[in-house]
Amino acid sequence: MSVPISQMWTVASYVLTQRLRGRKQYPLVLMLEPLFRCNLACAGCGKIQYPGQILRKHLTVEQCLKAVDECGAPIVSIPGGEPLMYPEIGPLVKELVARRKYIYLCTNAILLKERLDAGVFTPSKYLSFSIHMDGLREEHDEAVCKDGVFDQAVEGIREALRRGYRVTTNTTLFEGASPERVRKFFDAMMELGVEGMMVSPGYSYSKAPDQEHFLRKQRANELFQRILSNPKRGWRFNQSPLFLQFLMGKRDYECTPWGNPTFNVFGWQRPCYLLQEGYAQSFEDLIQGTRWERYGKRSGNEKCRDCMVHCGFEATAVQETFSSWRGFRDTVVATVTGRA
Amino acid sequence: MEDEKTLEGWAPEPDADLPLARIVELAFDYRGNTTVVKRDGTELYGYVFNRDAEAAVPYLEMFDADGGGPYRIPFAEVRTIHFTGKDTAAGKSYAAWLARKQAEKAAHATGSPVP
Repeated sequence: MSVPISQMWTVASYVLTQRLRGRKQYPLVLMLEPLFRCNLACAGCGKIQYPGQILRKHLTVEQCLKAVDECGAPIVSIPGGEPLMYPEIGPLVKELVARRKYIYLCTNAILLKERLDAGVFTPSKYLSFSIHMDGLREEHDEAVCKDGVFDQAVEGIREALRRGYRVTTNTTLFEGASPERVRKFFDAMMELGVEGMMVSPGYSYSKAPDQEHFLRKQRANELFQRILSNPKRGWRFNQSPLFLQFLMGKRDYECTPWGNPTFNVFGWQRPCYLLQEGYAQSFEDLIQGTRWERYGKRSGNEKCRDCMVHCGFEATAVQETFSSWRGFRDTVVATVTGRA
Repeated sequence: MEDEKTLEGWAPEPDADLPLARIVELAFDYRGNTTVVKRDGTELYGYVFNRDAEAAVPYLEMFDADGGGPYRIPFAEVRTIHFTGKDTAAGKSYAAWLARKQAEKAAHATGSPVP
């Protein structure tokens, strides 16, 4: 079990409260992108492909907190861009901790040791560094298009763990990933001592013109079966076990595109973290004004056909956990036995 | 490795086959600055980040070249949009990077200069 009890309790009570209130569309994780600027230029990453004046923009802490309050999700994920390049990252995290939000600060960790040395953060059960790691040294450096980044990330992980921070990893798998190498990578991360791992198939951002290296659904199911069907006892995942079963093709889920709403310098992104089909000025407008029936597998939308990404389906898995005794039982069994 | 097709440099004029709404949509998808040419003859150079063709008053939204804005401009005020800025996505696909890396490896192995 890798997610702390207090965090599980917070999420469980939040979901049950939403259900008791009869809310059909509620967020689980706010994807808060304070900036698009990054110190890497990973091929195929649409987040960084903007003109200079857009890359120089960032949200104010006040804008971030207004979005957090509007949204109300119990978990705030801070991706980007590279959030450690955000000049106000320390004050932002401090405010979020004060609001008792569980924070996943998604970073490539290049700047992590430097920021820790500078005293930007304080360890807290609410703060987890979610380190971008797409595999062992060779695969990771290739994925981020720069040699040496894997070693920098490992150094950052070690330093954060030494200082008492929660550390997880997030891994995106692309076409051509080797199951054997991924399993070795999981072993390596566990040996490093991270709290848990997150894994998801890659997806082509709508404006990043690269479909061929992103996994199709059947291929993704086969890959995750080979990786996860015989998990090692020591592996810990910081995500819903039902989502892992979905990745293996054991469950068939529909997307919950409002589960992980995204806020950035353009506003509230419609309809989800991956597709950029427009922006709403308020969270209420995002929820009420988005034509949700146009998205998800059942919609027939080509862009959604092969998507299996956590930001759309993990919320579905969490909802299943709390919407039926069977879902709850399956989650408990998978969590206790460690078998996906 | 041939880069993906880009609209960089394109200066369309709307007509029956290419309505303004389509040009706005292409500008919204374009990862670079564009020049919005207004019906009053003025122009605004910057990044179109949003549009709503289904709104009661269809509009686009953009930041100017200095990051100022956002400016909301009704479609009715727009004559056309020219794709004048550099396409910041062109040549940055994973496939293009892989091809470059393989070319570098091949060149390194043969001792020939990297193309």
